[in-house]
Formats: sequence, C-alpha cells, structure tokens
Amino acid sequence: MSAKRLDVHGTLRDMEWRRWRELGFSLGLVALLAGLLNGMGFFEAGRLIQGGVNLARFAREMFPPDVRILPTIAGALVETLQMAFAGTLLGFLLSFPLGVLGSRALFPAGVVAVVRFLVAALRTVPSLLWAVLMVIVVGLGPLAGTLALAFYTVGYLAKLYAELFEAIDPEILEAMRGVGAKRRHLIRFVLWPESANVILSQLLFMLEYNVRASTVLGLVGAGGIGFYMQAYLGTMAYSRLTTVLLAVLLLVIGMDALSAWIRRRYLLQP
Amino acid sequence: MTQSFPSLRRAVFLASEEIAVAVEDLWFAYREGKWILHGVNLQVPAGGFWAIMGPSGAGKTTLMRILAGLLPFPRGQVFLLGHPLQGKPEPGLRRIIGYIPQQLGLVRGLTALENVLLGSLARHPGWRTALGFFPRAEIERAMELLELLDLADKAGEKVFRLSGGERQRVAIARTLMQDPQLILADEFVSDLDLPRAAQVLAFVHRLARERGLTVILNLHELQLVQEFADHVVILKEGQVVFESPALDLSWPLFREIMEGKR
Repeated sequence: MSAKRLDVHGTLRDMEWRRWRELGFSLGLVALLAGLLNGMGFFEAGRLIQGGVNLARFAREMFPPDVRILPTIAGALVETLQMAFAGTLLGFLLSFPLGVLGSRALFPAGVVAVVRFLVAALRTVPSLLWAVLMVIVVGLGPLAGTLALAFYTVGYLAKLYAELFEAIDPEILEAMRGVGAKRRHLIRFVLWPESANVILSQLLFMLEYNVRASTVLGLVGAGGIGFYMQAYLGTMAYSRLTTVLLAVLLLVIGMDALSAWIRRRYLLQP
Repeated sequence: MTQSFPSLRRAVFLASEEIAVAVEDLWFAYREGKWILHGVNLQVPAGGFWAIMGPSGAGKTTLMRILAGLLPFPRGQVFLLGHPLQGKPEPGLRRIIGYIPQQLGLVRGLTALENVLLGSLARHPGWRTALGFFPRAEIERAMELLELLDLADKAGEKVFRLSGGERQRVAIARTLMQDPQLILADEFVSDLDLPRAAQVLAFVHRLARERGLTVILNLHELQLVQEFADHVVILKEGQVVFESPALDLSWPLFREIMEGKR
C-alpha cells in the first residue's frame, strides 16, 4: 500500500472545478452563437414572420409538381449520373498514385511534401468553382462537369489514401522488404490488399457525394440536371422545379441504396 | 568509446562461411546517445539452432532487425555467411536471409498461397510479378511448401481467416520460399500456447536439420529453448550477459541472470 493517503477533499474540489469549467465553456459557445445570429438579424421577429409568409407562398406555387416535363429532364438526369460516375472514377485513377506518392511509408519527405501541397491546393477549390474553371477550359457541357468532379475528387481521395497507406502496419512493409520486394511490389501486394476495404468504402462515399454535387454543376453550364434547375428557377416555374427536385431526390436515394448494396456485397469482413 | 578493429586473422575468421553469423562489437541507437545495443559480440556456427533470450527492451528485436539487414548500424561489424552487412551490403545477400517478424508480417488481404509466393520476389523482381503474374514453377513450389506444412487445403483462403497456428505456418512457408540459408525469427511463436509453439518449433527444427539451415530465434520460454535450441544467448540492456549450450541453462540460473544476481 502506498504511504500517501488519498486526498478525497482535493479530488472532489478538482472534479467540481472541472464541471464548472465545462459548463462555462458550453455557455460561452451558446453566447457566441447567439451573438453571431443576432448580427445576421436572426432575432428580428418581423423579418422572420415575413420569411415564413414568403415560404408559404413559394410552397403553394411549387405544388402540385408539373410531371409533364419528365421526358424533357430524363436525359439530363442520365447525364448527371454519367458525370458523377466518370468524374469519380477519373478522380480515383489519379488519387491512387498521388496517395502512394504522398505516403511517407514509401517515398522520401520531399516528394511527400510536394504531393501533399498539390493535393491540398486541389482541395481548396470548391466543386462549383472547378466547374466554372472547366467550362472556361473545355467549354459548356458534361465534359466540364466531369473534369470538375474529377479534380474535386482527387483533392479528397488522394489525401485520404495517403493517410490510409501511412497507417499500414510497418511490420508488414518490413517483412516484405525482407523478402526483397521492390516499391512496386509493396504497392501491389501490401498497399492495395491491406487497404482495399477502406479504398472501396471511400470511393463509394465520394460517388454518393458527386451524384449530389453533379446536380448543381449545370447552374454554371457544366451539364446535367442543374441546367433545368436554373432555367425553372429563373422563369419562376416552381411546379416544374419541384419535379426536378423530386427526381434528384429519387436519384440520390437510389444511389445511396446501390452504394449500400455494394458495401454489403463486396466489402471484406475482417 | 573507441571502436575495436579486429586483426586480419580475426577478420578472415569472422568472414568465413563456417560462421553463419558473426557480430563484432555492434552498437546501435535509435536516438543519439541512447544506445540500445552496447558492443554485442556473437558467433553463430553454420547449421546452428540458436535462441536469444532476455527481458523486454533488452535489444533482441533490434538485433534481429539489424541481422535481417533492415536497420543500418553505426558501429561494429556483422558478417552473414561470410558476407559483410556493413556499408552497402551485397544485393543478393537479402535473398539468403529469411526473416520472420514478431507479428509475422503477412498480408491479411492476400491468400495463403499469394503470401507464400511473395517469398520468391527476390528471384523475380520485375514488373511481371508486380502485376501478380508469377512463373508456373514458383506457384508449384509454393503449393508444395503449403502441402509440406499441411496447409494445401488453405491455399486459397485469405490470411485473415486463418487461425494463429496456420498463420505461423504460412509465414514459415514464405520464408522457405526464399530458399534461405539463415532464418531469423523474432518471437514468432509468442502468441501461441506452449504445446502449439512446441509443434511449430519442432517443425522448424526438423526442416533446419534436413536442409542444413542456420536458425536464430528470439524466445521467451526457457522450456522451448531447452528443448529445441543447441545454444542460448541472454541479452540484457543491450549486452550479452550470458552464453552457453542451451541445456546448461537451468531454471534457477536463468532466474538469477534475469534478476541481475549474476
């Protein structure tokens, strides 16, 4: 037994002090939020009531949805899906090698730093801005949207993959080096099989994200259903806009279901 | 600290092929000034079955990794089967050293057969194997090894589905696939219960005897050391504090050494 006696009074005082500090921190956060919202006019009752009235009027005009436009928007929906698939896969093909180059487990610090800077720069640009840039580069249409999604995908997946590869058990890499494996063998026989589960999981997540993102790229002329969203919004054809939104909702739900099925069917159970 | 330079005769002796592993005044530190190994000396004869024992942190794994050519060392000399490991070791040297790390270093997402095939990479370092295409003869050899280790029916099974004992055998098969002359195994049976560990060691022992391999194992269990090893070395705080034929190391003596009474 330790000669030192347990200081019950001191322990209780410490615990109490910690509780008060946590409470103070939480209250401070709430006060900060209230201050921010107040600055934006959130607590102006008249403005909120007027907003509610506007919303009700907008909702009235949105329903019932005008389903006669379905044949018109069907092609755009398919194009949206195509952009999402192609953009995600193209992005993945670029992300994997960049992820490998950005992993300290395989490459020297200098290479890793350059690659990580490049990937961080790609990630800074939002997908809509990528779409504007790509429209300037390749002109209007789905190619611009696809490239925009691909660049955006690279910014995220390459970073996630680099971190994933760095987390691989160093003993496996060491054992492989011990049998005379070259870097190319490490990529093929360690990085890929050890990370396949997470790679596929993140790829599906990105695909789901890109399906959502691709629906708005048409706003800047980068193809897909966004073109119709902008057109119906601009001409105040809200019942048609509702049809477009519902179609997008179905597309996203369908994509989520497909992704869930692929996860269940193909992801390895360790 | 001054480094000792062996005489020419001694250098010739250390580099001789009769001595499978010669370690002369080996020092190593992961961080400046914090030595993990303090002037270790060892001479393991070709065909020897040696055990290294010692408490955690004694430097056993570090010594193994240095012998496997995975850690460059700042001071001392190491000769493996007559070839120097210091400086830039000969590229072919790695081929003849089979190293089994503590957690085995198997790729869990690959099958048992694929893991064994990886042992042939030093013979086929090209792009063909990197794409997953191994020569037919190597595949047949890997299958033979799996059969030898009673794992033929598990060849297509992913490693993460195998039991602990089966994984040990896959690791042994991968090492044998290298065609090594020296096997270094770092506490590779420490996760198994004693009877299973004894079974695995019995197998390695028999193979080593049949093929004339030199084996150095890090082991914790004195019982296993007495049963299988012909020589034992005890490392403490990075130094060899005891060395003798394995059967001369009794329980009381072992306890005294570990408790620092000797």
